[in-house]
Amino acid sequence: MASSSQSPTKLYLMIWAWLAGLMLIGVFLSELPIPKATIVLIVLGLSSIKATLVALYYMHLKMDRWVLALVALVPLVLIVLALSVVFAGRLVQL
Amino acid sequence: MMSQAQAIGASGHANVPTATGIPNGKLGMWIFLASEVMFFTGLIGAYIVLRLSHPAWPGSEGHLIVHIGTINTLVLICSSTTIVMALAAAHRGATPAVRWWLLATIGLGALFLTIKGFEYAAKFSHHIVPSTNIFWSCYFVLTGFHALHVLGGIVFNTLVLAWTRDERLWAEHAHRLELAGLYWHFVDIVWIFLFPLLYLF
Repeated sequence: MASSSQSPTKLYLMIWAWLAGLMLIGVFLSELPIPKATIVLIVLGLSSIKATLVALYYMHLKMDRWVLALVALVPLVLIVLALSVVFAGRLVQL
Repeated sequence: MMSQAQAIGASGHANVPTATGIPNGKLGMWIFLASEVMFFTGLIGAYIVLRLSHPAWPGSEGHLIVHIGTINTLVLICSSTTIVMALAAAHRGATPAVRWWLLATIGLGALFLTIKGFEYAAKFSHHIVPSTNIFWSCYFVLTGFHALHVLGGIVFNTLVLAWTRDERLWAEHAHRLELAGLYWHFVDIVWIFLFPLLYLF
């Protein structure tokens, strides 16, 4: 995909194209007659890729100190824990 | 005369040595953003739990126009690019370019809020308000808090734009452009998840 050794402007424009393209793919897929659970997984997967691109290249986590990546990862770990609790509760109900 | 690239590197508090090697302001902004992630996770998590509890959700009463959401998403993606271009221009010492890219970012943020305002107005004209049903409660809370964050970002970006007009102030505050950019990208990331959750499913 994109390389940080390129000129920043070219890199940023390439990331913009990826973000816009992935977003339009998600909108297109959501219109197709595909089972809802599959669409949700695919589109949220695409959103995660877009968020990662923004964090790595626009927020410069790829080039910055690893301490910042750790700070960014802490809430993600907490999110996984929170979702685990929510879905564990639903499984118990079933 | 000090170039803007030098200004960013040597200005104000940005270059004070720290134990982590990261400027305090930048580390503080990342910690703040981590707390903001938890704030929106709480709201989005509540939305997901409520939605999973209602199989027929949102039904015919919960219709949002996808192409308006798509346009607004494109607007925010473009604004993320313009603010990172402003930072790149600052690193080159090209202050006039910084101003133009910041102005574009502020304009795109205002466009996002204007489109959102028209969306809200259309809903209100059909007597759809936060108390209409649980879907609309979630919609107005999620998009309302996000819009407030966009507004906060516009204010921050406008402050940075104002600092570029005075060489002395810019030399002192140039490093805050990066902080404004980090905040703005966070606002973009939140919308990246809100858009499909509210408009596409």
